[in-house]
Amino acid sequence: MVLLQLDPFLNELTSMFEKSKDKGSVWVTLKRSSLKSKLQKRKLSSAGESIEYRCLIRATDAKKTISTSVGAKDHLRFQASYATILKAHMTALKKRERKDRKKSTEAEKKESTSTTTSKPTKKL
Amino acid sequence: MVYIVSWDEFVDRSVQLFRADPESTRYVVKYRHCDGKLVLKVTDNKECLKFKTDQAQEAKKMEKLNNIFFTLMARGPDVDLSEVTGKEPMETQPAKKGRGRKQ
Repeated sequence: MVLLQLDPFLNELTSMFEKSKDKGSVWVTLKRSSLKSKLQKRKLSSAGESIEYRCLIRATDAKKTISTSVGAKDHLRFQASYATILKAHMTALKKRERKDRKKSTEAEKKESTSTTTSKPTKKL
Repeated sequence: MVYIVSWDEFVDRSVQLFRADPESTRYVVKYRHCDGKLVLKVTDNKECLKFKTDQAQEAKKMEKLNNIFFTLMARGPDVDLSEVTGKEPMETQPAKKGRGRKQ
């Protein structure tokens, strides 16, 4: 498990997405963590200090795993860059078009009713 | 595995799950470019909520959900979400600018 700084993590994440274009998946996990052991947590809470929580982000492409932790200060910046990367790479998802949906529902109706009458298609 | 059909229900339940147990709740995203599929999972190791899609518009909604989780996790589960999305699944107090709103 490789723990990286924010920017190298984003770069590695980008390259993971690019490598997995033809086959494979990319998993990204988000979890809240203080990155401290139970003992340390107990010490901190008994001393009256607040435990600083961070967001732990892990990414893997089944061959390599990278991770980084984001605090409250960096999370906005990370959020923006992360959103950009996702938008740039999730291009294989279908874009919903009304015409396609209408055609597909009409095709389903035709199959289920099995009548020879053709339905008039409306132009949008 | 429980696949949820409605996006809003998925969001509400996952935020609820997180607020109930922020220490063990995690949010996983799996993307397969070759299949064009996106799967989201939120679990606290007792309950599991999943959502899958192949639609580009759902990816946009997922980005908003990412923002929600980032804020919740980095700042704390008690943070007010209205500044992120305008969604407040737990409390229904519109604390925004009151433009002619009578309470």
